[in-house]
Amino acid sequence: MGAPLQSLASKAPKKAEHSILNDKRHKRHLLGNTLSRYYFFFSILALCFVLGLVIVFIGKTALLLFGEVSPAEFFLSFNWTPEEDIFGAAAFIVNTLSLTALTLLIAVPVSVGMAVLCAEIAPKWMKSFIRPVLDLLVGIPSIVYGYLGLTVLLPFLRRVSGEGLGDGILAAALVLALMVLPTICRISDDAIVAVPRKYRDAAYALGSTRLQVIMRVVLPAAKRGIISAIILGMTRAVGETMAVVMVIGNTPQLAKSLFTPSSVLTSNIVMQISNVEFDSTWNHALHMMAFLLLLISFVLILIIRVLGRKREDA
Amino acid sequence: MKLFKKFTVTALTAVIAVTASFAGVAAAADTLKGKITINGSTALLPLTLQAAKEFQKLHPKVKIAASGKGSVTGPQAVKKGIADIGACDWDASMDVPGFKAFDGQVANKVAVIPFATIVNKNVGVDNLTTAQLAGIYSGKITNWKEVGGSDANIVVITRAFGSGTRVNYQAKALGGGDIVKKEKNYKETGSSGDMKTAVATTPNAIGYIDLVYVTGSDIKAVKHNGVAATTDNVINGSYKVWAYGYYMTKGQPTGATKEFIEYVQSKKFQNGSLKKLKFIPIAAMKG
Repeated sequence: MGAPLQSLASKAPKKAEHSILNDKRHKRHLLGNTLSRYYFFFSILALCFVLGLVIVFIGKTALLLFGEVSPAEFFLSFNWTPEEDIFGAAAFIVNTLSLTALTLLIAVPVSVGMAVLCAEIAPKWMKSFIRPVLDLLVGIPSIVYGYLGLTVLLPFLRRVSGEGLGDGILAAALVLALMVLPTICRISDDAIVAVPRKYRDAAYALGSTRLQVIMRVVLPAAKRGIISAIILGMTRAVGETMAVVMVIGNTPQLAKSLFTPSSVLTSNIVMQISNVEFDSTWNHALHMMAFLLLLISFVLILIIRVLGRKREDA
Repeated sequence: MKLFKKFTVTALTAVIAVTASFAGVAAAADTLKGKITINGSTALLPLTLQAAKEFQKLHPKVKIAASGKGSVTGPQAVKKGIADIGACDWDASMDVPGFKAFDGQVANKVAVIPFATIVNKNVGVDNLTTAQLAGIYSGKITNWKEVGGSDANIVVITRAFGSGTRVNYQAKALGGGDIVKKEKNYKETGSSGDMKTAVATTPNAIGYIDLVYVTGSDIKAVKHNGVAATTDNVINGSYKVWAYGYYMTKGQPTGATKEFIEYVQSKKFQNGSLKKLKFIPIAAMKG
């Protein structure tokens, strides 16, 4: 920023007073630049500091657990009976991962499809209808999604499947898919729109059909944006609590079928934390589960970033 | 005009006199000072908040901060010295299933909370005995036809472990019987509101809840050992599924805390606001 401003300032002055005026303005600009640089730097520093504190404090309480329960029991045992001092969290970990995978399996094809529709195919009036609707969906509090899941989706699933309860990871995945759909769709949409027009023109000039243009040119070109859209959707799915709690059944067991009432890390924490004594092993175990969530989302983000970069290089 | 003037003067004098006398009363009561922190049961929170509001009007120099998180956090907070009063749905100075006694704490009875067994409106059963309920919750009875209903699987809905409602229901309605988690047709909910919604929307479901929540046509309260769940039956002693709500304190309460607990236990509050909130006065119980 400094260099062009300087050259502008040196070209402009013809009279002495002007040069003084410009000089003043230039200094003011420089000061503004410096200040904003410091401001941005400190903002990022403050953010890192808070994030660090969160990790340290959750981690500190969480690690107390391993003085009382062996890591092997916590990570490998499927038996979570804390009232009898048995703390096996493997079922929650597996359920969290499978719920996230199922959610993405449902949400990604639909939302990327919708993004393509929005960006490439739909007429203008339809775009100007779909986009605000999706933006609205993001603003609905998750507990409302959960309540709708409980009162509308579950009775429907019960009728279709013939199950008594209907709760389970399928119900949770459907609710979550609806929640992450607008996020994934809108960000992918932006990424697709940002693909330069000349790419499409060139492809069409080579005789491609519209489907070929979309599949072979537009989507690969927008891949980075779409991947970050999926990351954002996924982290929301991993961390979502209130909506999941209402439809998953909250029984600490492995989800062997789509309709087994089960529990994920988030839902188990929210169900139990208020009924557990401070400073008890149980409380430490719940903190460990929170810490684990942090790690899981961190690892998932890392994996997808690495994958995205590799494909980019290839 | 003269009459009007006279009237105004009289009215003003009256207002000033009344205000002065009120100020006098307040000044007399003002000797009580202090800060009371209350934590614990969400079931008792409405009662606590109402009592705090009224108490602070009487004693403006007493500050009361009340919050609710869960029954066990009450005595726990008292133990740690975070709170002066721990609201709890059970007597935490004694052992209950899953929770050890809190030594050195005194349980002050403040209210009676009745609980009801509820079922979805499609369930044809009107009465369940203690043995039948214990069978249902321990997983031995899984079909409604075994207790006189139609041929359908029973969907058991329960509260999470550590809930005050669950502790009391287990002790009183199940006769101390276990609540056993099952592979299917078993669900835990986090709050009374969730429990009500879940039972209301799930056919063949059974659950339990504070009696005050039993409203609407989607759920119905079933009789327990042939006795209907009503406040009258609780008071006359025939309906057994109820529990005292307690204010736990570290040792005997003193100062402002003592005054506050006594206010909550006073006839005026028990028969007034407490009844309006659909709790039952402790004095109504014999024993």
